[in-house]
Parts: sequence; C-alpha cells; structure tokens
Amino acid sequence: MNREERVTELRRTKSRNWYLRISAIVVVVMVAWAWLTSNPLFGRLSAERRWRNFQNFVSELVPNPVDKSGNWLDAIPWAWELLSGDGFVALMTTLGIATAAIILASTIVLPFMAMANRRFSRKDPFGLPGGQVSAPVAILWKIIGPFVRFSFVICRAIPEYLLAFLLISLLGLQVWPLVLALAIHNFGILGRLWGEVVENADAAAAKQRLASGTSRFNVFGTTVFPDVFNRFLIYFFYRWETCLKDATVLGMLGLLTLGKLIALAKGFHWDRMFFYIMLGASVIIVGDMFSSWMRSKLR
Amino acid sequence: MKRRWVISGIALVFLICAWCLGLKPAGLFPPDAEHWSRTGEFFKAALHPAFDYQDPNVPDDADHIWVKGFKGLLLTLKFAFAAMSLAVPAALVLGFFGSSAWWPEPCGPVLKSVLRVVFFASRFFMSLCRSIHELIWALLLLSAFGVSPFAGMVALAIPFSGTLGKVFSELIDEECLDAAKALKAIGHRPVQTFLVGIVPSALPNLITYTFYRFECALRSSAVLGFVGIETIGLYIELSHGEFYYREVWTYFYLLLAMIIAVDFWGAGIRKHLNPEVAGR
Repeated sequence: MNREERVTELRRTKSRNWYLRISAIVVVVMVAWAWLTSNPLFGRLSAERRWRNFQNFVSELVPNPVDKSGNWLDAIPWAWELLSGDGFVALMTTLGIATAAIILASTIVLPFMAMANRRFSRKDPFGLPGGQVSAPVAILWKIIGPFVRFSFVICRAIPEYLLAFLLISLLGLQVWPLVLALAIHNFGILGRLWGEVVENADAAAAKQRLASGTSRFNVFGTTVFPDVFNRFLIYFFYRWETCLKDATVLGMLGLLTLGKLIALAKGFHWDRMFFYIMLGASVIIVGDMFSSWMRSKLR
Repeated sequence: MKRRWVISGIALVFLICAWCLGLKPAGLFPPDAEHWSRTGEFFKAALHPAFDYQDPNVPDDADHIWVKGFKGLLLTLKFAFAAMSLAVPAALVLGFFGSSAWWPEPCGPVLKSVLRVVFFASRFFMSLCRSIHELIWALLLLSAFGVSPFAGMVALAIPFSGTLGKVFSELIDEECLDAAKALKAIGHRPVQTFLVGIVPSALPNLITYTFYRFECALRSSAVLGFVGIETIGLYIELSHGEFYYREVWTYFYLLLAMIIAVDFWGAGIRKHLNPEVAGR
C-alpha cells in the first residue's frame, strides 16, 4: 500500500461521532452569531471619546495624596488608613463567609454521598446478593439516586450572586443569605465532584464488607469515606478558593465585604476602589497559594 | 496528618467563623412580619410563574413575557459564547507558556533560565487575571470604556482565560509524555512536539474542562445583568425591584432550564469523548 492509499484508508476508517460533530457545529455557529449580531459592538461612544475616558480613568486611579504631592511615599499612610478603617473588617468578613459557607456545604453534602452514587444507591449495592428487600424500599432506592443527583444539578445551576440577591430580600440584610447562597451552590458542585471521586474509588473493600452483611451507610462511613478522604479535601480546598472570590463580590449586594467598599467607592473615589480591588486580589492570590500548597500535600 | 485532627480542626474553624460573623440560628428565618409575608408571597409565586406581565404599564406592542425571556436567554448565551471564544485562544497561549512538558530535552543553562522566567511570568499573569472576579472586571472596564457589549465580553473573558490557562497547563503537564519524548529524540522542535505529541492526547480532557467553564460562563453572564449589561439577570433584577415575583420566577425558570440543558449537553460530550470513563 503506498502512502496516498494508506492516508485514504485511515481517513475512511476514522471514527466519526455525530454527537460531537453536531456539538462542534452548534458551537461555531453560536460564536459567529454572538460576534456578528452585537451592534454596536463597542458602544455608542466614538473612539476618541473612549480613549479620553480611558485616560481620565487611569489618572483617577493614582492615590489622591500622591496625585497632589507627586511622592509615592504618601501612599503608605493613605493605604494604612483605608486598611485600618473598613478594609480589615471587610477582609475578615469575606474570609469568614467563604470559610463558613464551604464547611456548611461539605457537611450537608456528605450524608448524600452514600445516596447519590450509582453503585451504592440501589436495593442491592454493587449488585451483591443482600437478602430480601420489601417492594416499597426497593422502589425508594430506585428513585432516591436520580432524585439526589438532580437536586445537585439544580443547586449548581443557580448562580450564587442571584441566589444571594433573592435571599437578602427574604431574610433581610445580614450574613446568613450570603453564606447560604454560597453553601447551596457549592452543595451542588461538591455533590458532583465528590460523587465522581466515590465512583472512581476502588470498590473491593466496600464490596467485601457489604457481602459480609454490614449496612451500606456503615460501609460508606467506615470504608469508603476514609479511603477517599484526601481526595475530598483536595476538592474542598479548591472550592474554598472559589468561594473566597465569590464572597468578595457578594458584598456588592450591601453587606460589609470588599465588594461593598468597591461599589461605594466607585464613581467618587476611583483610587480607593482600585486599592480595595487590589487588596481583594492579593487575598485571593494568597488563598490560592495556600490551597494549592494544601492540595499538593494531600496528593 | 490524622483524619480526626483535620475534621476537628475544620469544625473548630467553622465555630470561630460563626462566632466572628455573628451567625445565629434565628438568622435563618425572616426577621419580622413584613419579611415573613414577603417570603410567603415569593414562594407562592413559584407555583404561578407569570404568563403575562404583572406590570400594568407595559405598552401594547411589547413582546410577550416568554418572548422577552427567551431573548434574555439568547443575550446571556451570546456573552458566554463570545467570552469563551476570546478566553480559549488566550488560555491556550498562556497554558503553553505555563507548562514545562514541551521544553527541549538537552537544555542549556541560559535557555533553561529564560524558559523558567517565561514559565513563572505566565503563571503569575494567569493568577492575576483570575484573582479579580468577573463582576469587578466588568465594573472596571465599563467605567474605563463606557457601556458596550465588548466590555462585557472582555470582562468575562479575562478571568476565564486565567482559570482555563492554569488548568490547561496542569492537564498538559500531567499528560503521559512518552510520545513527546520519542518525538524530541528524533529531532522535533519544541512547538512541533507540543502540537503533535502532547495536545492530541490531552484534547479530551481539555475539551471537557472547557465545556465545564462554559457552564460557569453562562452563570456569570446572567449575573452580569446586575451591573447593567443586558442579560436575563437584568430582567430579574428589574422585575424583583417592582415586587413582580411571578415575573421573577418566569425568568428564573427559563434560566434554570437553559443551564440544566447545557449541563446535560456537557455530560453527553464527556460521555462521547471518554466512553470507558462515563460507562463505569
């Protein structure tokens, strides 16, 4: 077989998947549509006007005392004042909300792990013979898995910002709505991530113990959970990092986290707004480094 | 570390946070009669989403509420698609420079230190991009350039390219490098090795992750409505401000349905890319 024939042969026997092909076409069409139908793409301002806006904006970002004196050392007391005023409190609140939310979410999701799993959540876990099961219980186990998994889907489909916005209008302006919003969204995400970990875990020990008559919740708590614990923690820290970022902006809804300070300073004190944004970014970078250090230790 | 210490530590941290934030169980319920009745109304409206505007002042020639809702969904999709089409190429470039799998094998000390500098610079740049939330990017860009669709798209694209780039580089570095080593050994250049030896085998993972980020982009795009960009989030905020809870639920259900549909689409893609994993 010469080279051309070989290439044609390979091309002919290439695996074709209609699902992926149609998906690819849909994506390309949607991207083209998104760009072509956004008119006017750059807004109604003229190009020079935008450029002037931008120059003004950048000059406003310089800290006020530095702008007056031209000495960057003057920025230090200015920054310290902002930090010791509301900045530090907002920072701690942001940190507290993110941490409380992710711990709450992971505590609530844990008992559901034994029920959402395709191998566990059936009348005979892993298909092992387990004795008589009454009909209602068998039906219950048939529906409980899809039900829990769908509740994960719904929880993670709701954007946390929208959820916090709605909850604040019902529960009043306090910390709980933000914690709950983050916790509900992350309940859904951890449900999926942890669920995948449990499904990919080695099942031999669990099967052994189920076959010897231990109940499924017992097996989950004493065999599966210890085995996957580190991998659970890896995702726990990954989601904590994301929560930290989301908690920052949730303050834009009116509670004292960095987002509120940013929203308040916007339009009046651009220099302060920029300072708070950078403060938030540096906290997130530190949180990011802490979480990747923890995760690399747990691997 | 002992598991029990980790768990007790986490519980302790929760108690400290709850104490510092003043979280009390009473806060889980509406604080007064007004909020209670509002909550009741809100959840009653969940069972009766609006099939017509609750607002009495809607002009006669306005779209039907479902048409308006669908237009909102399309606008939400538009921002997500446009943002991802900017973020993916940027992330591929950043991910390339942030990974070390393609580095040439016998590598002189000068070249190595140059590569190291590029590696850390691109990692740092990605972490800077993603450490500012997309809503704050939107605030910054809208303030700097005025309100425009493009500012919204870029605001979404910047943090997403940071996250995508970071994960791309990690996925690439975790890939099995036998093929890449073989290609290097027979004299392929680094970029050729990367494109032919590494990317094809990492592709299913890259696509799966990109699709997951697309779902996130869709949620973020809806939320961009809260800073004044026209997506379905804007409609929800406006109707909510007028206490038209049934309209809120209409838009909310539409948004939920779209995101869940995309979630299932993504699950299908995962299954078709990786049949043996999904079949387990």
